[in-house]
Amino acid sequence: MKILIVEDNERVAQFVTKGLREAGHTVEHAANGRDGLFLAASEPHDVIVMDRMLPGNVDGLGIIEALRQAGNRTPILILSALDAVDERIKGLRSGGDDYLTKPFAFGELLARVDALGRRSSGAEAGHTLQVGDLRMDLLSRRVTRGSRAITLQPREFKLLEYLMRHADQVVTRTMLLEAVWEYNFDPQTNVVDVHISKLRQKIEHESEAPLVRTVRNAGYMMTEHE
Amino acid sequence: MNRLLRSSPVTWALGYLLLGLAALVAFAVLLWYAWNVSIFSGREEILHADAQHLADVFAREGPQGLKAHIDSRLRLQIVGERTLLLTDADYRPLAGNLAAWPREIPDGAGTHAVMVDQLAGQPVHTLLLRTTLPGGYHLLVGRDLGFYLPLERKFAWGLTAAITFLFVVGVAGAVLIRRQLLARVQGMRTTVSAIMAGDLRRRLPAADSGDEFDTLSRTINGMLDHIERLIHGVSDVSNSIAHDLRTPLAELRSRLEELTLTRPEPAETFAAIEAAVADVDRVMSIFAALLRLAELDTGARRSGFVEVDAARVAAEVVEFYEPAAEQKGVAFSFRAAGAAPVAGDPVLLAQALSNLIDNSLKCVPERGAIVVCVDKRADGSVAIEVADNGPGIAAADKPKATERFFRGDASRNTPGVGLGLSIVDAVARLHGGALELLDNHPGLRAQMVLPVTAATSSR
Repeated sequence: MKILIVEDNERVAQFVTKGLREAGHTVEHAANGRDGLFLAASEPHDVIVMDRMLPGNVDGLGIIEALRQAGNRTPILILSALDAVDERIKGLRSGGDDYLTKPFAFGELLARVDALGRRSSGAEAGHTLQVGDLRMDLLSRRVTRGSRAITLQPREFKLLEYLMRHADQVVTRTMLLEAVWEYNFDPQTNVVDVHISKLRQKIEHESEAPLVRTVRNAGYMMTEHE
Repeated sequence: MNRLLRSSPVTWALGYLLLGLAALVAFAVLLWYAWNVSIFSGREEILHADAQHLADVFAREGPQGLKAHIDSRLRLQIVGERTLLLTDADYRPLAGNLAAWPREIPDGAGTHAVMVDQLAGQPVHTLLLRTTLPGGYHLLVGRDLGFYLPLERKFAWGLTAAITFLFVVGVAGAVLIRRQLLARVQGMRTTVSAIMAGDLRRRLPAADSGDEFDTLSRTINGMLDHIERLIHGVSDVSNSIAHDLRTPLAELRSRLEELTLTRPEPAETFAAIEAAVADVDRVMSIFAALLRLAELDTGARRSGFVEVDAARVAAEVVEFYEPAAEQKGVAFSFRAAGAAPVAGDPVLLAQALSNLIDNSLKCVPERGAIVVCVDKRADGSVAIEVADNGPGIAAADKPKATERFFRGDASRNTPGVGLGLSIVDAVARLHGGALELLDNHPGLRAQMVLPVTAATSSR
């Protein structure tokens, strides 16, 4: 994917650029709002990572609004040290697609950038999702693995649907909390892990290949590949 | 004096005093006028009637008859109220109680007020009516003007006394009211000054009389409670940051410093770095919790309140925690008596409940039990309760349990930073309710009570 980073802090920019390149993405970097707006407007990107507080008292939200008004639909991940709920809402209202507060773990950033990129490429086809021999029918809400039917609770269905929609991508626990339970706080116990392991028990019988992998220091990934 | 006049109770009292005086004076003037008109004109009428009567006697019985009539009349009179004089054409007295025709009387008919010497006694201020009878006889009919003088004097005295009384009472009242008010205001002022000087625990005196001052004092005391809590919160936070953030930061620092000094094998280095990242995460989670608390304390989140079914929120959180409880072998049950609508923030309520369940899960023993229930009370308030059979909180620790960074002895060795209950408490207070920590014999019954007012005020 081609990614644009608008971030004035050199160290953060370097760290993110390096990490994203290692993950196989093409990365461009703008250190201020003017350059960022110019780059974003002049060539197409798959995802834009936008810092909020830029040099010269420029708010990244202003740039996002300008891009959206110009008809630019590139998915944007907002990076910000402003954590209050109001700030998040403001960020998303201005046209941002996701909001990540600083400081952040790189795994979280990567997972969210991947998720945004996937969303824009519109990889969803029809009303079935498939990973390996695991199939999910979104209309009849039926899940099967091979010939075996799997019964899921509504919330388990939602969790599996999210994992399958983001197959071959890392999803973090925070992303799962936000998407499946709509909670924006971190429970102190490893509740998400327990839900995942319960789900695994249902979709991965002993004779079957594992589909949900734990990615160390990041989260989970659903994939049929080893 | 100037200061006294600037005092508002004195100004008001003096205003009322002037109003009273003005009313009294207006009353007196009107009364005086009415009195004068009726008495004065009444007197003239009587004089005319008298003179007419005597003229009739004269016409009927002649001068001698009138003389006898006058004599008999005067004999009946005890005090010199009435003055009568009959003279011939040359003003020589024939009958009456005057020695001579008074010189002061001008010619011509009509009434005249003059001083005359009555035969028996004092000079009297008299109103005289002069009539000329047929045959040149002159007749004077008079009435003592001083007859009502004592009454008038009494009236004047009474008026003066009333004015004096009103004035004295008014001024004394003003001074007394001022003194009373000053005493109360002074009490408030000394308290407020003490608070400004830094003694935040002082409160305004408030009796149970329920008057305006007590109501005001109680309102101000409520405000002071809130301010004290906020200030303590701020100083607590600074203390906690100094204390609780320093520990992981110090660990982190020594870990990294050790790495640069010892330069161990790569595998060991990476393990140390991972531990350092965990330290940073811990610091970050403390920061996040503190920021959330600060956000809650400002009350800004209240603008996002919607009508929420607390029972539904609780059911979802319970469902969220069910697998974790199951894994730990804890009996986890949920009970709700129908919908429990409150005005609130569903995510915050979920977080508060999740903190309570987290706490319980951490401290209940293997095969313990946790019961979550949502009840609608008779007064319409909603109670969200998490009860467990863990070690509970010691009675002595309960008041401190919601303080930031407080950790009871029982939880010393469990993970956490001591902000969970602070957040629950802050969420409950944001919703106008309170967090109550009750005993479950054994264990803890943590109850968030959300008042019905929260549900109605937002509509």
